[in-house]
Amino acid sequence: MVTTFTATELFETIESGADFILLDVRNEEDFSNFSVEGPNEIEMLNIPYFDFIERPESSVAKVPSGKPLKIVCAKEGSSEFVASVMADFGREDISHLEGGIVSWGNVLVSKRINSDSDSYEMWQFNRPGKASCSYGLVYEGEMFLFDPSRNVEFYQHFAESRGADITHTFETHLQADYISGSPLIAKETGATFVAHDGDYGSAIHEYRSLIDGESFDFSNEGGPSTLCIHSPGHTPGSTSYVIGEKYLISGDTVFIVSVGRPDLGNQVVEWAKMLYGTIKERISILPDSLLVLPGHYTDWSAEADSEMRIINDFGTIKRNNEEIYGIDDIDDFVSFIQSNMRQQPEIYGQIRKVNSGHLTPCNDEQNVMDLGKNECAASNHTS
Amino acid sequence: MKEYNDELDCSGMNCPLPILKTKMKIDTMKDGEVLRVISTDPGACNDMPAWASRVGHVLVESCEEGDKFVFYIRKGE
Repeated sequence: MVTTFTATELFETIESGADFILLDVRNEEDFSNFSVEGPNEIEMLNIPYFDFIERPESSVAKVPSGKPLKIVCAKEGSSEFVASVMADFGREDISHLEGGIVSWGNVLVSKRINSDSDSYEMWQFNRPGKASCSYGLVYEGEMFLFDPSRNVEFYQHFAESRGADITHTFETHLQADYISGSPLIAKETGATFVAHDGDYGSAIHEYRSLIDGESFDFSNEGGPSTLCIHSPGHTPGSTSYVIGEKYLISGDTVFIVSVGRPDLGNQVVEWAKMLYGTIKERISILPDSLLVLPGHYTDWSAEADSEMRIINDFGTIKRNNEEIYGIDDIDDFVSFIQSNMRQQPEIYGQIRKVNSGHLTPCNDEQNVMDLGKNECAASNHTS
Repeated sequence: MKEYNDELDCSGMNCPLPILKTKMKIDTMKDGEVLRVISTDPGACNDMPAWASRVGHVLVESCEEGDKFVFYIRKGE
């Protein structure tokens, strides 16, 4: 019998280290552009569904038997078709992904960051399809969001499950690699959209302009404060947030491995110098004990902790990234950035326009634009 | 208007149906004949050329006509 699984269940299966085969039946080009990645190695095969139309028997024979088989495709129809072909040939334990690869691209996995006994809740929402993280801070019926993706329904349900209303949605910067959910969340929930003029000055959206050094607090006393630190470089308006003097929501400025690339605005020298100033004068001076919660990661094995959370203390990060934090000359820093530069995906220009409200594609188009792993780190890349 | 021998309208169908129907249709045609396929599924844009080249057919031309994607496929030998 053929069954289905959700993107969330797929993540949990990968995380558990279960033995299975993932069969991606999209065409080779789409597969090479974007495929499922998770916290453990996946035994993966790409055999396009049309091979199962043309040569069903030999295509089925290419798939090893004896392990559970999970099938993914673009939308769902083709994986369902291939699953039925496999079943016709007597294969068992076959299932396919509900909603296709887009549902994997959009899925969010929530992990509690702080202790259950704390008076507030710090949550990381990992989006494995993008290798990006958004965050939620909950205190006495109010929730602050940081860098939410387009999966607005998820955040609303999550807030509801914590008995909270979303009151603020903060952006660390104008994203180039995914479509931000903040404008829609602000519209649907009435939450205050908070961002820096350096990135959002020319945006269409209404937002509350933040000031370097100011703090945002919850209505009730005793909650963690959110301190804004303007940290330009990746973009001119990049802002990091220190939460309760304990966590640093670092956006695309500090990553667990590497820093955010400053070459996306086609002003690499100017922005790299800005980033150097930020690292030296604004970031390196922060306490080593701060726990960094970044906007992106590249490699689970190097950047996740034992509970598959993307987090590390700033002292360790500085030591592990000595080739960046150890540079003491601005020109050497610019050279380091330039020597690691590579092209940015073409779609990034379009995504920026969507995020500033200058382009409003339909939902299907946004799904296509929004699919694919980020390319935001200055170094530590595979391409 | 390009010349073709037969035509298949897959409007409204989602994958895998456009490729499945195209294969069934082209199997009934002679080598070298051209099939005109109409699809409204954006997924066909990448899948149709990928399928054709894998199977040995030739995608002679593809274009968009309004919200429809049109493919001319010459049956391979």
